[in-house]
Amino acid sequence: MKTIATIKSGGTASWAIRLVTAAVVVYLMFWIPTSASNGMIDSCITALTLMAAAMSLNLLLGYTGLISIGHSAFFGIGAYTTGILVSRYGWSPFQTLAVAFVIAFVVGALVSLPALRIKGVYLALVTLALGLVFPQLVKAQKLEWLTGGARGLDKTGFRFTKDNPTYEIFGWNPWGSLRGENVKPFHYWIAMIIVIGVYLVCRGVVKSRAGRSMIAIRDNETAAAVMGVNLAITKALVFGLSAALCALPGSLSAIRTGNVTPDSTNITVQGAITFLIVMVVGGAGSLWGPIIGAGLFVFITELTGDWSDPDQIPGIIRPLFSWSNTPPGSGIFAILLIVLMFVAPFGIVGMWRRLVARFVTVTPRPAGTGTIESVVSAPAEA
Amino acid sequence: MSILHARQLSAGYGPVTVLHDIELVVEEGEIVVILGANGAGKTTTMRAVSGTIPRQGSVELNGHDITKLSPDAIVRQGVAQVPQGRGTFPELSVHDNLRAGAITRHDGSAAVAADMERWYGQFPRLAERKDQRAGSLSGGEQQMLAIARALMSRPKLLLCDEPSLGLAPLITQELFAVIERLNKEEGLSVLLVEQNANLAMHMASRVYLLETGRIVAEGSAEELSADDTIRKAYLGF
Repeated sequence: MKTIATIKSGGTASWAIRLVTAAVVVYLMFWIPTSASNGMIDSCITALTLMAAAMSLNLLLGYTGLISIGHSAFFGIGAYTTGILVSRYGWSPFQTLAVAFVIAFVVGALVSLPALRIKGVYLALVTLALGLVFPQLVKAQKLEWLTGGARGLDKTGFRFTKDNPTYEIFGWNPWGSLRGENVKPFHYWIAMIIVIGVYLVCRGVVKSRAGRSMIAIRDNETAAAVMGVNLAITKALVFGLSAALCALPGSLSAIRTGNVTPDSTNITVQGAITFLIVMVVGGAGSLWGPIIGAGLFVFITELTGDWSDPDQIPGIIRPLFSWSNTPPGSGIFAILLIVLMFVAPFGIVGMWRRLVARFVTVTPRPAGTGTIESVVSAPAEA
Repeated sequence: MSILHARQLSAGYGPVTVLHDIELVVEEGEIVVILGANGAGKTTTMRAVSGTIPRQGSVELNGHDITKLSPDAIVRQGVAQVPQGRGTFPELSVHDNLRAGAITRHDGSAAVAADMERWYGQFPRLAERKDQRAGSLSGGEQQMLAIARALMSRPKLLLCDEPSLGLAPLITQELFAVIERLNKEEGLSVLLVEQNANLAMHMASRVYLLETGRIVAEGSAEELSADDTIRKAYLGF
């Protein structure tokens, strides 16, 4: 395949590409809350929630190779921690984030103990059990005084009243009155800060010594052990951190919707599976994979949201979906997943990298003591 | 005091015991070679020493008992292993594979970087491929990477499990030359498992002959090859 462009790693062109990408991302980040419709801001918050959850799972599955089909439980721990502290004890929602983080970390690390002994499918089953048990647990009668049972909790978000119409940051008020629909950009920014925070934590971990240990465990557990990686501690910490990060979007959902119910999608196992699929479609083991996967998932579900009415489906593809009485979003995404597993087993990010490798040659910086004159093209597929 | 002394070492997998009460000594600065046919228990011996499988008996490193230690703790005590079949981390770059080898070290990134430069000097092929995925290297390069990575932990004892596996004879020779040089110049003690008796015996200080999990002969390379019955039955030349 013909190379269209040659880019020197660390050179002007590669920096230009990075700057343009960053500029576009930042522009969108600010454009959405100021200029987009309320419906679109809402969809974006949903996407941001999924992004954070999928990123947390990526740390575990994508980078360490430990599977979890129970991350909805950690999402739920976040939601319930915030819900309980805000509605029953009158905390400020922001303070509850730290508590949710700590509780989920401890629970996650404890759950990882069986993970040290079991692998693959068995670990999947143990975590699945956790995901199934959590909604039942919070519905239990004995816990109703705390969790509100099957009805759940309400008034779990910010309460903006006539006397207290906004949230000020050290006396600075960028929002105006937050009563009514104005509150959406405010929630958007909370979500955005959580996503940026989770991204930075993941990035920091993955590029550090701990990250190399994690990838080593994923790629070859025995070799990792004989390199001196402490398998038990590494796995427990990664499990804990992943759980803790997943609790943050959980808290966010409680803040945003103002109520927590045990049957909301992201708290049941369906949520855990959504996180998993979103991450795999985007690209497991890459930092941007979960972000792209979550964005695409929400885009598709929003696009097809009113397709249960056949008249709303664009003419050409109407025969394909008109039989469905429910919005076909998840179904379409599932088909996409199957297709992707054939054409791009490493998700959208993996496919992108392969395309880039095909058309663009990236020359690495000179390495070590050896000097390279020739162009080393990225390992193209055989 | 010997650097490694295993007494009555038994090990196996689940209900199957593969290794029966072997005694194994590596003196400081020696290259000790374990020879044996397929299924003799060579790899099991390595795993029993590095602690990656359950074992009975005792293993002493410089007189300290390491029998009860976990694999990573044994690495910290100064034993590095080149696992069978290379065991590089395919998704990490060559550079990051080497950094992964330094996971147990806490003497600062400057010292680690200096060591990396040193091994890049010893293995120029790796320096050329520094930013490439380890999985894209050839078999010989991966084996070199696995050895360089093991050396990053600054071991006193290097365990090499069949480094010649799947390599062309010329590359195997090159590899053995490197191991011999490290032994001579750095005083690195090496315990090496091989099927390729001919090649390995040339550099061995001492040789153990393993058959169905028991040591059947032991001695210097000359002693063993001088014994006609052993030579014919086990060494095949």
